[in-house]
Amino acid sequence: MTNLLVWLVLGCVFLGVLRFVRGPSDADRIVALDILFSAAVAMCALAALFSQRVLFLDIAIGVVLIGFVATLAWARLVESRDLKKFESSP
Amino acid sequence: MTILGMGVLIVGIMALLLASIGLFVLQDALSRQHAATKAGSLGIVLIVTGTAVIGGSWAWWWRAALIVVLTWLTMPMASHVLARAAIRGQLPEDGEGSIGGGNMAAQEVKTKG
Repeated sequence: MTNLLVWLVLGCVFLGVLRFVRGPSDADRIVALDILFSAAVAMCALAALFSQRVLFLDIAIGVVLIGFVATLAWARLVESRDLKKFESSP
Repeated sequence: MTILGMGVLIVGIMALLLASIGLFVLQDALSRQHAATKAGSLGIVLIVTGTAVIGGSWAWWWRAALIVVLTWLTMPMASHVLARAAIRGQLPEDGEGSIGGGNMAAQEVKTKG
């Protein structure tokens, strides 16, 4: 049972990495990054559950905050860069 | 209580897996962020709730509640910013695959600049 749940989340990570590598635009890559952070929170929750240590949920809180800031920063960067590239093109 | 928590946990992992399958079924960055943020936040909330139900004590519950509140506060904002980045990323030179307001926003910028 433990292995099955971890493998399901690993399949989610695999799909996210595949979309991160193959994404046609940069916005696709940021969406894949968001999925990867969600999978990291799920992994932290599973680690807390199967090792019976509540400490891993603290790590999950940190991962949620880091994922939010990272998604915001990358999305703003891609948005401003695409706008600049479009304005400079004839 | 363990069986109930395990059921909620499995439903949450299925929602997360569905979100990551949506990255491949949908064909646009805008649609992909829709699938990823909505189903992803549902998956996180269900997984953490199931973990707290299995853990059972107060130390598990308040951490899980904090994660749920943080997810519900930050995920809509991340979804909004991702949608803006996806729309601005669709340039008219891309041709196919740009739906809805993508071209409209780009043309608006073009006439303005």
